[in-house]
Amino acid sequence: MACAFLLKAQNRAITGTVTDSKKLPLPGITVTVLGTKTATQTDANGKYTINAENESTLEFKALGFSSQTIKVGTNTTLNISLTDETTNLDAVTVVGYTTKKKSEISSAVTTVSGAQLNDVTSVNLGNLLQGKAPGVVASSASGDPTAGSTVVVRGVGTINAGIGPLVVVDGNIGGTYNPADVDNITILRDAAATGLYGSRAANGVIIVTTKKGKAGETRFSLNSAVGFAKATTGNFQLMDAQQLYDYQKTFFTTPPAPSLVNTNTNWWDEAFRTAMVNNHTLTASGGSEKSQFYISGNYFKEEGTLINNDKTQYSLRANLTSQLTKKLKLNALLSGIVINDNINPESAVYQAYLNMPYDPAYNADGSPTDPRNIPSWKGRDRSNFLQSLQYNYSRARSFTSTGDINLDYDLLKNLTISSYNRATIASGRSNNYYDRRSQSGATNLGTASLSNTFATTLLSSNRIKYSVNIGQHNFSILGVAEIESYKYDVNGITAKGLPAGMDAINTATDITNKPTGSYDGYKNIKYLAQADYSYQSKYYLVASVVNEYASRFGKNNPAATFYQFGTSWILSNESFLKDNKTISFLKLRASAGTTGNQGGIDYYQSFGLYNLNAAASYNGQTGAFPTQIANPDLTWEKSRTYNLGLDFSLFKRIDVTIDAYDKRNSDLLFAVPLPSTVGYANIRRNIGAIRNRGIEFTINSKNIQLKDFNWETNFNMSFNRNKVMELNQGLLVVNTSTQPIALGHDMDEWYMQKWAGVNPADGKPLWEKLDDPTGVTSTYNQATRQYTGKSSAPKFSGGLTNTLNYKNFTLSAFLNFVYGNWVYNDSRFYFDNDGVYESYNQQVLPKGSVRWTTPGQTDATHPQAKFGGNLQSHQTSTRFLENGSYLRLRNVTVGYNLPANWLKKASINAARLYVSGDNLFTATKFSGVDPEVDLTGGISSFRYPTSRRFVFGVNLTF
Amino acid sequence: MKFEMKIYHNHIIKIAIATAVIFSASSCRKNFFPSDRVEDSGLLNTIEGMRTATLGNYATLKGLNYENNYHWLAELPSDEVAQGQNSSSDVTNLYKYTHLVNSANATAYFQQAYYIAAAANKIIRLIPDNASADQLQVKGENLFLRAMLHFNLVRMFGRPYAQTPTTNPGVPILSENLTESEAATVKRSTVAQVYDFVLADLLKAAQFMTVEKSNSFATKMAAYALLSRVYLYMDNNAKAIEYADLVINSNKYQLLQNTQYQNYFRVDPETNRESIFAIKHTKTENYDYSAVGSLYYSGDANGNALGQGESGWGEIYASAKYYNFLNKFPQDKRKSFISPYVVGGTQQLNGKLTPPAPIYYVNKNNLQEGVINLTSPVYLRLAEQYLNRAEANAKLNKAQLALDDVNVIRTRAGIPVYTLIDVTPTHTILDIVLEERWLELAFEGHRAYDLFRNNRPVVRDYPGTHSTINGSVNQTINPTDARVIYFIPQTERDKNPNLSQNP
Repeated sequence: MACAFLLKAQNRAITGTVTDSKKLPLPGITVTVLGTKTATQTDANGKYTINAENESTLEFKALGFSSQTIKVGTNTTLNISLTDETTNLDAVTVVGYTTKKKSEISSAVTTVSGAQLNDVTSVNLGNLLQGKAPGVVASSASGDPTAGSTVVVRGVGTINAGIGPLVVVDGNIGGTYNPADVDNITILRDAAATGLYGSRAANGVIIVTTKKGKAGETRFSLNSAVGFAKATTGNFQLMDAQQLYDYQKTFFTTPPAPSLVNTNTNWWDEAFRTAMVNNHTLTASGGSEKSQFYISGNYFKEEGTLINNDKTQYSLRANLTSQLTKKLKLNALLSGIVINDNINPESAVYQAYLNMPYDPAYNADGSPTDPRNIPSWKGRDRSNFLQSLQYNYSRARSFTSTGDINLDYDLLKNLTISSYNRATIASGRSNNYYDRRSQSGATNLGTASLSNTFATTLLSSNRIKYSVNIGQHNFSILGVAEIESYKYDVNGITAKGLPAGMDAINTATDITNKPTGSYDGYKNIKYLAQADYSYQSKYYLVASVVNEYASRFGKNNPAATFYQFGTSWILSNESFLKDNKTISFLKLRASAGTTGNQGGIDYYQSFGLYNLNAAASYNGQTGAFPTQIANPDLTWEKSRTYNLGLDFSLFKRIDVTIDAYDKRNSDLLFAVPLPSTVGYANIRRNIGAIRNRGIEFTINSKNIQLKDFNWETNFNMSFNRNKVMELNQGLLVVNTSTQPIALGHDMDEWYMQKWAGVNPADGKPLWEKLDDPTGVTSTYNQATRQYTGKSSAPKFSGGLTNTLNYKNFTLSAFLNFVYGNWVYNDSRFYFDNDGVYESYNQQVLPKGSVRWTTPGQTDATHPQAKFGGNLQSHQTSTRFLENGSYLRLRNVTVGYNLPANWLKKASINAARLYVSGDNLFTATKFSGVDPEVDLTGGISSFRYPTSRRFVFGVNLTF
Repeated sequence: MKFEMKIYHNHIIKIAIATAVIFSASSCRKNFFPSDRVEDSGLLNTIEGMRTATLGNYATLKGLNYENNYHWLAELPSDEVAQGQNSSSDVTNLYKYTHLVNSANATAYFQQAYYIAAAANKIIRLIPDNASADQLQVKGENLFLRAMLHFNLVRMFGRPYAQTPTTNPGVPILSENLTESEAATVKRSTVAQVYDFVLADLLKAAQFMTVEKSNSFATKMAAYALLSRVYLYMDNNAKAIEYADLVINSNKYQLLQNTQYQNYFRVDPETNRESIFAIKHTKTENYDYSAVGSLYYSGDANGNALGQGESGWGEIYASAKYYNFLNKFPQDKRKSFISPYVVGGTQQLNGKLTPPAPIYYVNKNNLQEGVINLTSPVYLRLAEQYLNRAEANAKLNKAQLALDDVNVIRTRAGIPVYTLIDVTPTHTILDIVLEERWLELAFEGHRAYDLFRNNRPVVRDYPGTHSTINGSVNQTINPTDARVIYFIPQTERDKNPNLSQNP
């Protein structure tokens, strides 16, 4: 009792306020008296009170901030300012099945915080990630809000196995999330980090960690943004009636009637509009020492700049963390997302490009014209999307939900067993209606089609982790057993004969085609073991081995084993650098390892199969047709990566990360085309090897750090080169598309007829013909197909962000760029074709282009226009292959933090107002509306352009 | 010490249990199998399985890749069609004779035809020639299909038999005896070799097929009917007559009369007594805007023409040349197969061209069972057998016999018959037969072959997109023109370098 008295006597209350770097109060910060069990948390105003002694050390700790310790001494008030973790090397990063301090990682990883991610207003990860992390190239082929985007990590190393990186949400493979709930995203790029995901990690891994609650008073936040968008058209311009008339009269045998120009419809303007975007998120988080919660609801609606096109998304997330017993911790995570997509049911983008300005969009009474009743209609497709859009629609509705129950049990002091379990349910329904009054519905007197999908994924990942420290040696061992099973059902029906305006299938008189329905499934089983070792916070080693079975591979080779190894050395912790003022941090990293790829191939690819579907049935009887040739030896595509990395900091201000890698994918999965005389279109084989080599770097620089003014710059850039290294069976090339897989070539290199310009004598097109003495020909069929040395993959890409803070104002500007890729501008076949299609509108010749008109003319870029075309001049050739490089001002945001004393009266902790602009400026030589294409294909066809957008937003915390 | 040991022991057990639980949970492997496909190894072990696979071979004929491309490759080079406006599809090149080595239509047809031939071979090679009757029936049907595919291929990619068939390259022969690697590197056989292969298959097929089946299937009579056509193409007139006789005299088929004839293509194809072999589409096997008929016709389900885009693209028409020839006798019942687009008594024109093409929709490939774009393409029918016999007799200088058969067809059409007086040096008996073939079999893929194999040119003196090539409405394609046949698809030559190219 005396002891207790003594203790009590020496204890006294310490108070203070914890704030962030912007002096905003931080609630929920855990304050601990080191070496004791005394702890508390800051309240909503960041205030805390704790009992401590003079000799005590207080620790201030919270996820997302670097922890700080301070001796109490004689102070009674201790005000602390915590710094964000993102600039700190001690920040905790989630890598695979473990979390590590950034300084301890031997791999190429990048973390993007939720705030960095969500500058652009979107719910699409690819759009949000573009240009923000080295080695990550995100691209989208469409401005359609309902369309997806492609994310590629470190170049495409596969031909037609999957190219997308694996997404891991909150520790489990797969899952759903709303970007608004993202705490941070970690991108794993080298094999030592990705390898634990074995089978599906060949394309990199994106780890999404959602926000969790912090103990303390309940905190609410409201983020609200409203904006509007317009489609960008870049260097592209369509002809108006007068321009088209002037062009066509040069080659029509009988001149078109001059009265045609009396109608001048701008179909582009009819199809596109100013579109609204809305994004509102309300969250509540908080909890006790024992249990914390984070709950959020989000409403997002983006209208397409195209009419009759929008996406509405409702998301809900509840993350609960609870210390059930002293040893047992529970994470219960629940996410539900409902998406309603409105897809333009008519080919409105296509028509916006190609409908003729001579044709009227509206009747005198203001109703849309119906080309079926206008014999003089000039446009080829005799279609006015405005007429059909009065009635028709195409809608998709989906519900995806994931529930996670993750348990960690401390069996012993150093031994934890965990069971992570997830169920995902995805249900989708799409619905198309074509009214009998519309052109597309007339033939069948109205059609309605319905398709339903239902998928479940069950995942159980069970882990055991043991760690031990012996002196300065730290060991840890991890074992994981994981099973995933997937089931999918789909069915569909199309009915016809519906009364006008009625879209329920009950009102139909018949079906158009046989109903469809099938189901699928697969299973993956994985075992892995990983060992970590470190010594003196200087030397780090990690090694792992993974064995995985996948039901989709051949019965002879369904399982594969992968290994990984990584090491790093923190030189700045050595005595010879410890006190160096210039180099404040220096680390060398090296890693090697293998991963696998099973994406992009059918679940039953190894079997020899006959199809029994409707296409194989005849005269109402079941039939079977061979569709797949057996390959029981089919196995995993494997990827081997070597990575060398260097991290250093100068003057504690400039952080630099550099990585160089050599990634070789072998046993490439490829649908090898077969001569049709064999009886099958292709066979799925493991065919050869492709190498990707590259360098990536990131520079973070705190250029200016003053009391009222801060300027930070983040710059990242990646260079990647691709080469086909090996093909089986002595082949030199395995297919002959415009991007063949050919030994020694970039797999994305274009292979086609080379355009040789216009013959000055007669205005005819010329192509290279290598076996001809003149070297050229005007006969397309004789032109030589050849390698162009131009690839659809960029030579480099990257991003530059500048952030400025002045008092309560912030300004950030984000540029992204892609350089050295060549885009095939496919739609010029239709609107730049020298007279082939007199009933399609045409592109105004881009600056610098000249049409041949007179014999002897040498400056012509375009052949003479002729009715019906000039000798196939519009067929595939390098004529339409264009430089796809661009530099884009992707986002500018100006923000203002309202002064705290104004907010106090309203009981608001923090309030920020901002204005944000997306895609404000693009520099490019590309002649189409937008140089951005899906970089994995490199083809631009009737591009639905990206939008320029302005968003006004407010973030409130209370 | 003992106490510590016990704790240690406890831990070992805990770890062991934990490890066992964790790692045993996930050890069961499972084979997944597709829900709408079967493994090939099992299917062909039984006669039922072989029948199912044979049905699949027929089914693939009705796939767009086969059926549409067959139609356009055979039909578009003729002078009975007019393309009324330019199109972005390869159809334009087929029509204008501006073929590409990577023609989408020719490539798809070539590939699909060989896929089906290879699928037929899987069955053919399993059944010996001395097998039971029900097995031979299956083999015979597959031999028929293989023969038909090779015959169609050699007509499209090999020069007419009338032009040195023993040296001109035909197409690869896909015999059941080829190994996979032989099939992958097979060369083009000569035109004559392919015809011999086709004849051998058909003769065997006719012998093996003994079961009475509907006109949706290959039968003995279908094999005879095709033999008659093949012999006619080879100028083996006696044999052409012999096999036409076998079909006509079998009395299994009859020429439809009056409204039944006028509704030839609108009824359930299996109830049609004139068809010998048609590729059957059930009512739900309709391709709508992708169907052949959608390019020919736009109107209602009764054959009444409406504006373009009402039910189909409606941009390929009966040529003015054909329509005017047919209209020589306005009472000709075959006018039912044309739906001229007339508004208020005025024939409508497609204004995209100068001079414009009159909109004479063709409805032969539409309107089955009241479904606008549905059709079951007729490959063999009785009227052709009469005309095969007529042509063979004409070439054997048996004018009266030839006229007899022509007159059967003309009588059925409700137009005046010919007598020998009508046969003159400027209007020969062969002219008369070929004219009648044209009138009767138009838009069924015969016309261009009928001209070229008889060394006659295709003369287009009517409006259509061809007329823009040289600014005049005349285009003449001589039977010796290189483009009378298609290029071997570039992509197939890339995969099999042994395939030579047509000049």
